[in-house]
Amino acid sequence: MYDIKQISRKLDALLKEKGAAVYEHCVSESEKQELNTEKADFNLFRTIFDNGVSVTVIQDGKKGSASGNDLSDEGLEKVVSDALLGAASSVEDEANAIAERQEPEVFQSGCWDADMPRFYDGLKAMMDTMARDYPKVNPMMLIGDHTRYHVYYVNSNGTCFENRNGLYHVGIEMSGSDGEKNTGLDYTGFCTTDLDTPLISQGSMKQHMEATEASLNSVPLPGKFEGTVIFTPDCLGEFMYMLAGNYIMGGVIMNGTSQWLDKVGQQVASEKITVSLKAEDSRIADLQPFTGDGYKAENVTVIDKGVLNCFLLNLYAARKTGRPVTKNTSFAMVIENGDTPLQDMIASVDKGLIVGGFSGGEPGANGEFSGVAKNSFYVENGKIVGAVTETMINGNLEQVFKNVIAVSKEQVCNGGSVLPWMACSGIVISGK
Amino acid sequence: MIADIITPQAKHFAEGVQSVLRGHENRSRRVVLLKGNLVQNARSESRGISARVTKNGRYGFSSVASYTEKDEETVLKAATENALFLDQRGASPRRTYPALSGGTAPAPRAITDTEQKRLIDVCQEIDNYVNTKYPDLLSRTVVYTEDSQDKIILASDAAGGHVTYPRCYIYVMMSAESKSGAPVELFKAFGGAGGFDDHFTDLSAIWPGIDELHSRLMDKKEGVYAEAGNKTVILGGMMGGMLAHEAVGHTVEADLVLGGSVAGPNLHKPVASEMVTLVDFAGEAFGRPTPLPVYLDDEGTLAKDAVLIQDGILTGYMNNRETAAHFGTEPCGNARAWDFNDEPLIRMRNTCILPGKNTLDEMIASIDDGYYLIDSSNGQADLTGEFMFGVSLGYEIKHGKLGKALLDTTVSGIAFDMLKTVDMLSDKVVWSSSGFCGKKQPMPVGMGGPDMRCRITIGGR
Repeated sequence: MYDIKQISRKLDALLKEKGAAVYEHCVSESEKQELNTEKADFNLFRTIFDNGVSVTVIQDGKKGSASGNDLSDEGLEKVVSDALLGAASSVEDEANAIAERQEPEVFQSGCWDADMPRFYDGLKAMMDTMARDYPKVNPMMLIGDHTRYHVYYVNSNGTCFENRNGLYHVGIEMSGSDGEKNTGLDYTGFCTTDLDTPLISQGSMKQHMEATEASLNSVPLPGKFEGTVIFTPDCLGEFMYMLAGNYIMGGVIMNGTSQWLDKVGQQVASEKITVSLKAEDSRIADLQPFTGDGYKAENVTVIDKGVLNCFLLNLYAARKTGRPVTKNTSFAMVIENGDTPLQDMIASVDKGLIVGGFSGGEPGANGEFSGVAKNSFYVENGKIVGAVTETMINGNLEQVFKNVIAVSKEQVCNGGSVLPWMACSGIVISGK
Repeated sequence: MIADIITPQAKHFAEGVQSVLRGHENRSRRVVLLKGNLVQNARSESRGISARVTKNGRYGFSSVASYTEKDEETVLKAATENALFLDQRGASPRRTYPALSGGTAPAPRAITDTEQKRLIDVCQEIDNYVNTKYPDLLSRTVVYTEDSQDKIILASDAAGGHVTYPRCYIYVMMSAESKSGAPVELFKAFGGAGGFDDHFTDLSAIWPGIDELHSRLMDKKEGVYAEAGNKTVILGGMMGGMLAHEAVGHTVEADLVLGGSVAGPNLHKPVASEMVTLVDFAGEAFGRPTPLPVYLDDEGTLAKDAVLIQDGILTGYMNNRETAAHFGTEPCGNARAWDFNDEPLIRMRNTCILPGKNTLDEMIASIDDGYYLIDSSNGQADLTGEFMFGVSLGYEIKHGKLGKALLDTTVSGIAFDMLKTVDMLSDKVVWSSSGFCGKKQPMPVGMGGPDMRCRITIGGR
């Protein structure tokens, strides 16, 4: 293991020695222990030690960045030289800057030390429970890891942040099979510090296993109609990510293709929708204490009862567009729950789908999307009729979040986000 | 390029296990100009050593982010301990695999470095060209991206060698305002395997491609929504390559076959029209180097082509050493790892549907009401062969002639059903190689195909 504070001090000295006045750098080390299974049998155990060093230099308004994983003196020398050369080759831009000084702070979260024998037993128990309770679900690949990392960030304005974090992650790819009937692939995962609660009871593991088994009973969905779609929490996360990419994030604000450029302070979604990025939330294990720009992270409400509060802009994008910087660049997202129990939400659907996954083309800048509804179920007269295959959904991202009928009372926390089910109208559903 | 400190380490291989040691460096260079603003200007290098040790069919793997003789002993020891950890706890025996004949891969291609200033200069020159010639655009982005892998592989019971995989591309993206006021976008990638000087010393070859991109964007600006339904279409070569990769290729990766993919029960059965032959090429195809040539994989298997579909019959899978033993066949070199700390997985290399005899003009003339789908934004497929591709560029075909451009849409289907509807193939293959395939790790892959007439489900509005 390295003394990354010592390496950080070396970097500082090197940068000053070479005449850099405005800079930021980050040194990290990590250790991952990862157990892999294939068809419920452990077949691979990996132990990975990694390091990271990144340097950004701004000289006369010109910015250069370099990174690597060699923490030797030669490695540090090279990354500093590359960053300086990059800056010298660069273009002057007054938007290039580093964060202003903030008080030094040390953060620590999660579980630093891995208990791999116990984690192994927990994963094995999960597979045993699956085999007993969900015999038609095939756990094609289960990966569990404990990853810990130690990061040290410094900038030339005197900001200095240190963070140590350790977490267990579990991810599973599964499919259903029953004689000659097979389902498609489903995936889910979560991160946690909790090895006391059975792993199968965490995140949305059980919902996915139930859905995979139920997917073995598919029904034809002929024709095309406009109906109600209930997005599961995992799928809602996918759609929220697409929404952010199309309307809220720095790239589309800088290039001017966002359709919400002049919508801050205005209603852009249903008043049932409140979306926040969290820096502190006891439900979320994977929190980012500071941003890549060197800002201490804050809780940021992006959409409040349907009103757009802000865009997601790093320091460069903020200065470039004359807007405030967003002091949270994580996706530790919470969508506030509503007051409709999930069962009532399903019961209220005349004709529609519960959509568990979306396999679609990236939406165009106009927000139009179309793709295959995966792990999805047809609902008619308030009842789940059966799973669907070869079914497409088409719509417009902005309209999806405007046409919200209900948000569920229940939420799912996967360690990285807390999300409800969401029902919306006006989506075109096409069967084969 | 990395020095060979790996080969002398054979003495550290333990008895009674199968070991592979890999020295590995990845490099990347990236420059992004967004509307003329330099928003990214970065260089990165990561280097390390990994060991994979197999004991009774269970794998131990370890890696460190440094590159010395001492590190080799460290990773071999840790990987051995990990394999023993699993072996001691494993309830039932696992598949084992035999030794392969030795040998050495061909000498590596050079990985050359280019000053960052040249990368920025060329991006600025392209940006200036676009901005000056096409000032009506809503937005423009020019991206230079380069990645390379440099590996030295030493196996206790297979081949070895020093191999490199350099590639670089310039992406040009444009967006314009459509008649409805909403933006439409298109992009094009230039470049391929090799370094900066192999592709970008003379930009005169790029200007026609940029002009064509703008012309198509102007068509798309006036574009219409496709009519939803099952239609006769011509999938362009880029789309055919995507189909070969996503919809068929993944289902015939042996690890996914064992996981229950649709290819399992279909081996040696018809899965496509007799016109369709699909090959995962290694180093050469059609008498030329493949877009991303592979000569040796990360388990020490010397690479050769894998024929997957021959005249419409599913003939084989892509394997690693373990699955090849399971299926009673020989591995073809498909076990590949992206970074120094990644274990080898079964991956495609250059997957391509072989060309036919028709011309594109004949194919267009043969369709009364359909679509010509040229380029794809992304694609995904499932174990069942159900696939989805985003279509970023396409045209209507009306009465044997190209009509209006299409706005973004999606096509979907079941691969083995859709391939049975193929009834015309053009005589030219189009390759693409700029993207990454994602399967736990990213991996550069080539994919290609001819224009292909078939029936497919297209999503409208």
